Amino acid sequence: MNLLRGLAVAGCCAALLCAQQFTFNLDHLAAKASDSVDISLNGPTLQFAAKFLDSKDPDQAKVKQLIAGLEGIYVKNFEFKSRGEWSQADLDSVRQQLRAPEWSRIVGIRSAGDGETAEIYVRNQGGKVTGVAILAAEPTELTVVNIVGAVDLDSLAALGGHFGIPELSEQKDSGKQKGTGKRAK
Amino acid sequence: MTVLEAPPETALDFAGLVREHQSMVFSVCWHFLHDRDLAEETAQEVFLSLHRNLASIQSAAHAAHWLRKVAVQRAIDEGRRRRRRPQVALADVAEPVALTPARDPMLAETLRRLVATLAEAPRMVMILRYQEDLDATEIAETLDMPVATVKSHLQRSLALLREKVTRRGLGGKKWIG
Amino acid sequence: MDWLDQELKLALERKEPSPDFAARVIRRAARGPSHHMQRWLAAAAAVIVMTSAGLGYRHHQGEVAKDQVMLAFKITAVKVNHIQTHVKGAVR
Repeated sequence: MNLLRGLAVAGCCAALLCAQQFTFNLDHLAAKASDSVDISLNGPTLQFAAKFLDSKDPDQAKVKQLIAGLEGIYVKNFEFKSRGEWSQADLDSVRQQLRAPEWSRIVGIRSAGDGETAEIYVRNQGGKVTGVAILAAEPTELTVVNIVGAVDLDSLAALGGHFGIPELSEQKDSGKQKGTGKRAK
Repeated sequence: MTVLEAPPETALDFAGLVREHQSMVFSVCWHFLHDRDLAEETAQEVFLSLHRNLASIQSAAHAAHWLRKVAVQRAIDEGRRRRRRPQVALADVAEPVALTPARDPMLAETLRRLVATLAEAPRMVMILRYQEDLDATEIAETLDMPVATVKSHLQRSLALLREKVTRRGLGGKKWIG
Repeated sequence: MDWLDQELKLALERKEPSPDFAARVIRRAARGPSHHMQRWLAAAAAVIVMTSAGLGYRHHQGEVAKDQVMLAFKITAVKVNHIQTHVKGAVR
């Protein structure tokens, strides 16, 4: 897993929860992390940023297309030097909120050998997607993402092939054991 | 909250409001930021803001409510501006004078340190609950937060603190009132 | 009442600011409009300076926002791709 440089980027919202659809409650992990990323971008900021995305760059063009209908994107990512710095309770406090009726888990994976779990939740209102939550955990890394707004799931799924990530069809077996992940529900 | 009109003979006195509420405003800032100078600076800004908005304050009770809400918001803003969690080396900082002596100074200091490690929202919830003795509904109104979220923060924070304190072999003493 | 509740009340009880805090605040507030006018004039001058440099600053803000958006989606892409890889491996 690529290591990401720690960035601390301030959000622009005055209220505690901004336009996030659930609280992350993970700030206490920042002190223990060797690297962390904290991104809070609301709708107006996204649309402002879109003006600076270069349509000629394939990655930027893809993102410009994705953020067209969005109201916000919120990311917290922590990397730790050693195991045991985060606990299931940290993730459970997020999962608890995603048990609300409007959220549905559409995929979950668990790799017992690697100690990894990952889940994607979708928020539905009136038959339309109004948000996505991604929870990804490894022994030394924790990531929570909330994308708010009319998320194009197909475009999200097609992010492979961008940002230097090979498309799924191009990927050779990466050394992950086959069949160790649970079948997606 | 019912706002009562102040009778003319008790028109709001800024200096009186400062003296009456300085402890509350300063304490919210200090418990949240754990930096005495910063807490005083932030508290001062809260009162200067009150001075600028004095005409819109309708009563003494309104002033108290207004001050608490603004103190909370300014403390949170200042904490974010500084981009750091309160450092818990309280031993290095001159302790402000408490109004009553602590029963068990070691436990009190440990609890303050532990509260300081909480995330922003539960930290402020705990301060409003235990410093200001507000109930969940009042805390929710002050923080613009659902009551259920306030209760959840309280529950989780208390469970965390209880576990950490008892693990250290502190606390659990019977309270003799 | 629970022992922890009592101890937390004590630990988080109100503290006093410096003895001269109230006097300082009252003095500062008493400087009143002239102090405020100076601040407003300074702010107005700053706005004029900033407006003339505004385009450059706005561009900088835009670039910063763009970098943040790209990073957010890069992280998302990595995680989604990872999940897809696992699912594909499980389906085989």
